[in-house]
Amino acid sequence: MQLRLPPSLHYPITVTSLLKREGDTVERDEAIFWYIYQTTVEEGDGLGNQVMVKRKFPTRFESTVDGTVVKWNIAKGDVIDEPVDVVEVEEPCAHEVQFGGMCAECGKDMTESTYNTEISETFRAPIQMTHDNTTLTVSEKEATRVEEDAKRRLLASRRLSLVVDLDQTIIHATVDPTVGEWKDDKDNPNYDALKDVRSFQLVDDTPGARGCWYYIKLRPGLEGFLEKVAELFELHIYTMGTRAYAQNIADLIDPTRKLFGDRILSRDESGSLTAKNLQRLFPVDTKMVVIIDDRGDVWRWIPNLIKVVPYDFFVGIGDINSSFLPKKQEIVVTPKSSRGSKEKGKEKEDQEHHVNGATMKTGPETEVSALEQLVTMGGGDDPRLLQEQADAQEETIMHQVEDRPLLQKQKELDADDDASADGSESSSSGDESQEVARPRHHLLVDHDTELFQLQDRLEAVHKIFFEEYDKKRTHALGGRVAALRGEKAASKDKDVDLKLVPDIKDIMPLYKAQVLGGVVIVFSGVIPLGQDLQNAEVSLWAKTFGVVVLKNIGKRVTHLVAGRNRTAKVREATRWPNIKIVTTQWLYDSLINWRHMDEDPYLLPVHPDDRGEPLSPGSRELVDNSWMSSSDEATNVTDDDASDELFKDAGLSESSPLSYDEEDQAAVHDELKDFLGSDDESESDSEFFAEEGAEPSRKRKRGEGSDGNADEESTHEDGDEVDAKGSRLSQRIKRSYERSTGLRDVATPGGSETEETRFEKGQFPAPDDDDEGEAGVATVVGDKQETQSETAVEGSDVDADDFEREMMAAFDDPDYSKESGAAPTSTDQG
Amino acid sequence: MFFLKEETKVITMHPSYFGPNMREFLIARLNEEEEGRCTGDHFVICVMDMVDIGEGRVVPSSGSAEYTIKYRAIIWKPFRGETVDAIVTSVKPTGIFTLAGPLSVFIARKNIPSDIKWEPNTVPPQYTDHADQVIEKGTSLRLKILGVKPDVAAINAIGTIKEDYLGALQGVYQDNEATIAAYAHASMTLASARDS
Repeated sequence: MQLRLPPSLHYPITVTSLLKREGDTVERDEAIFWYIYQTTVEEGDGLGNQVMVKRKFPTRFESTVDGTVVKWNIAKGDVIDEPVDVVEVEEPCAHEVQFGGMCAECGKDMTESTYNTEISETFRAPIQMTHDNTTLTVSEKEATRVEEDAKRRLLASRRLSLVVDLDQTIIHATVDPTVGEWKDDKDNPNYDALKDVRSFQLVDDTPGARGCWYYIKLRPGLEGFLEKVAELFELHIYTMGTRAYAQNIADLIDPTRKLFGDRILSRDESGSLTAKNLQRLFPVDTKMVVIIDDRGDVWRWIPNLIKVVPYDFFVGIGDINSSFLPKKQEIVVTPKSSRGSKEKGKEKEDQEHHVNGATMKTGPETEVSALEQLVTMGGGDDPRLLQEQADAQEETIMHQVEDRPLLQKQKELDADDDASADGSESSSSGDESQEVARPRHHLLVDHDTELFQLQDRLEAVHKIFFEEYDKKRTHALGGRVAALRGEKAASKDKDVDLKLVPDIKDIMPLYKAQVLGGVVIVFSGVIPLGQDLQNAEVSLWAKTFGVVVLKNIGKRVTHLVAGRNRTAKVREATRWPNIKIVTTQWLYDSLINWRHMDEDPYLLPVHPDDRGEPLSPGSRELVDNSWMSSSDEATNVTDDDASDELFKDAGLSESSPLSYDEEDQAAVHDELKDFLGSDDESESDSEFFAEEGAEPSRKRKRGEGSDGNADEESTHEDGDEVDAKGSRLSQRIKRSYERSTGLRDVATPGGSETEETRFEKGQFPAPDDDDEGEAGVATVVGDKQETQSETAVEGSDVDADDFEREMMAAFDDPDYSKESGAAPTSTDQG
Repeated sequence: MFFLKEETKVITMHPSYFGPNMREFLIARLNEEEEGRCTGDHFVICVMDMVDIGEGRVVPSSGSAEYTIKYRAIIWKPFRGETVDAIVTSVKPTGIFTLAGPLSVFIARKNIPSDIKWEPNTVPPQYTDHADQVIEKGTSLRLKILGVKPDVAAINAIGTIKEDYLGALQGVYQDNEATIAAYAHASMTLASARDS
């Protein structure tokens, strides 16, 4: 280790003698060399006066580490001006693994510190990487070594790592004692569903729930799922439950510990009660890690995550270990069940009055703003908050034990049945598994199939990963074999090359993006106002599948996802033939099934009154501008249709080279400035418009060449001269001249002098018209066209058509003429 | 190392305990509070006998009585260099976690003989030299303590088995799983008792 001088020394220093030779041992705090430094001090001169004198002070430099001197980088007499490495000391132990404040290799106390300590020794091993222990920390080097070993092993056995969440992902737990009673009661309608519910008692869990029984329902197909997946993945448990809870669950789902081994991380060791961190388990790199969890927010939607549909078997219980987590944004996914519609409605209603503490707290408003959530996430260290959350957790448990939400619900259900039995038989329409003799409904239905789909997905990810890896490896091998021709080919197993390992963070998003790639959606009535659109749960989820979420309806939008009917956006979307108006269910089903679902069954029945006129191609562009005003990053991608048209008009394709260099641009710029300089507009404004105007002008110039000048001049003469070669654009401009009388007033704000000089030059009338039109419109305050023109100015592609239309619109507006009339120059022909 | 140590402790008694069985109450309280306690420096294993139970003194304004008790207890203070027997609680690529009674001892990979290798593919994972030495969860180990670090209410230690006569103990058959569970339970009860 190189020993570096601290920056706190009084530089420059002069080395006077080295106290250790190479090969000598040094101890901590032992002097290793002498040096002198010079400084100014105040001294008495013996006459009672204070004088400032420069003095030299000899000082010892003490080693901060133990070890053997390997090499000096300085010599006697050297003057050192800045912190440098002075000596290399070989340490007997680098303290790379530390246990409870001790070096686990040499047993030294790492927390000791003296006046000489710069950085505490504990910082040498800052990483926790053991699942079930927080006292053991390792250095980055050690962590890398361990991880690389693990990766080699995994690659050799062609497996990846899979981090599995427990609650609502592979199991569902409740402490409602009703479950136990139903389980023993053969006559209970829920008996069938509860048959395989397991239970255990936690003696010393949370203080409020001593000795309370936990009922665990395994997600259907779990056993097979784990067994199959364990062949492709090394499984880890990462749960927000306590250690004891996690151990008990592990005993249930993996009694032999074949699948999970000791790889269980609970909230006791997680380090954070509010978020899960993959770095806690894989501190160096997460290239080969896949996560399955029912919540994306706790993972901050990292690309390794596969979000699964929450398993909600005990209806309305939710996640019993979620009190510490940020509140969940409710996504009500109606289960694709065979249950009758009535029951469905019932369930939805139930979800609103959860007895679960997490939702209890939120009260009637189940939606939580992103900010609030961030605050909750960040508040992990606040002891008061922690206490509150612990209380909430306790309360959750207590409530479930006392209130028996399930029993209440079954009662409601029964009452419901009784009521409907009198009326019609509609309630029993869909439920095939219902007993004939007892017309009671099951509250608990076991129809979840998520794990089967999940297995397919995991297999697919695994396959893609190793295909990619093999591809890279054969590639690299081929190169190497060529290079080392004649040498014996290395055995396949040994040749596990960690550099070639592809990154799951690249592979998964690519794979997922195929699902809904190219889909551009706008939400309507889904995300509450005031919540950040891009960071809402559902947007984040959708975005992992390649969906682009926009704020407003526009040209690129392919789907409108409507939470309810008859919103303004639905109305607007009906005018676009290419936008499919679908229910939220479409999006959820697509996300859940990893498939672009056929939209037809999900189409939203649009109220006939809301059907707007289909947009004509012309008016569409008007609307285009309106969506450009949305603040999405996506709007940076403006469509080039308008400019394409311009190119075509000018007889050019977009790809034709523009031999337009900086000189030309500067010239055009100057000229524009010249004539705009006399404008009433402020300096900055005219500059801005000059900038904007430069583009259309150059396009025109290219197109018309030298003839352009003549044409344009003629258009300016009086507007009635036939333009023989004129392009469509110039014709249009001419037309606009003819239509409006006030145009030229606006076009010549600087008075006749400017106009004359301009005519003499005979150059680009079109752009200046455009600019003026634009400027004029932009100044009309309170005009309804204002927004459009402004957005047009903002857009990088300013197209002539829009200007033309805007000009016309502005001229038709009485406000505008008033304004322009007030302008100082209402001259000639008008 | 074990010591027989004389200590004093002040116990406060609620007036409801005042009566003929006072002495028994006091002793029961002392046992309950002291036995199994970790002071950060040593573990109190067992309270042996009372040397002296002082006269009770009623605390003004509360009604409770304070007794100063002198007692002798067997304590265990782990030392550096001490050789102890321990049970493996888990094995990790970085090393082995063991429990020597109430003391948790970690053995880093560097302190495991180099011929005993990490073998993650077995169930459960183990350290083995592919001969008679197999170290997995539940194995009895003889180890030497390399360092001891007192904490607030616990002691951490690190150990080594990289010396002669250290390592897995052959022929010692114990119901180690049960022992571990018992320790775990005891420490948990202690922890919750402390919390409450």
